[in-house]
Amino acid sequence: MCPVKYIELTMAKYLAQGFPAYQWTVNETAPWTPFTKRLEECRVALLSSGGISLRSQPPFNPGGRDDFSFREIPRDVDVKELVINHNYYDHTDAERDINCVFPIERLRDLEKEGYIGELAPFSYTFMGRIFRRGALQQEMAPDLVRRLKANKVDALLGVPA
Amino acid sequence: MVRVVGQAGIPTIYTGSARDIIEAVKPSRAVFVNFPLGHETGKPFDKPLQIAILKAAFETLKSAKLPGTIVDLPYQWRDGDDSWEKDALKRGEWVKSV
Repeated sequence: MCPVKYIELTMAKYLAQGFPAYQWTVNETAPWTPFTKRLEECRVALLSSGGISLRSQPPFNPGGRDDFSFREIPRDVDVKELVINHNYYDHTDAERDINCVFPIERLRDLEKEGYIGELAPFSYTFMGRIFRRGALQQEMAPDLVRRLKANKVDALLGVPA
Repeated sequence: MVRVVGQAGIPTIYTGSARDIIEAVKPSRAVFVNFPLGHETGKPFDKPLQIAILKAAFETLKSAKLPGTIVDLPYQWRDGDDSWEKDALKRGEWVKSV
């Protein structure tokens, strides 16, 4: 196994297109909130950067960059109502089975099984591709935190795409 | 995103398929699934695999002791065949022209 070096390749690609070297954020430390509850009692929410929305919602701009918007996806959504708009990953398989990148049906299964306490009333999707780190840290992410706390979420599963 | 959430008092677990990006981001806890991008939580219609990946993620949520823990999951995209990794190198389609 030789994991693909996405950072090197992305940098090479941008350089080849004539852009200056992109400054990847490399964090020195990881944040930490201890996990102290029993998982069987936890309310879990899902966060995806896969550009997924409900058919009834405004779609994401698939080329979006610094798109700070979220979509709220209700826990009992019929997955046929989900659409993907995102130019930056191959979502052919996710369109056939959304659980490849947005495992909402599997989380409902885990809830039924009693493995997790419950799936939160809403999960969240966005586009990723956010280059304005300040706005992300000071506005967008705190907004998500507020929503998660309002929904009494005990743990967040984050799935990039 | 998950870093800010993790800082704000909500425990997080991240499932990723780009190990170098996980290492740079350093979420609180992560599992690495060595699949092509767009398959972070499994292969289409493979319900047992999807459940296994999620359970591995949640077990890591429960058991990780150190911030920045990354657990490498053993699942292979194609048993005994790593050629998809070279295809990913060539295609680079996650970076379309900006």
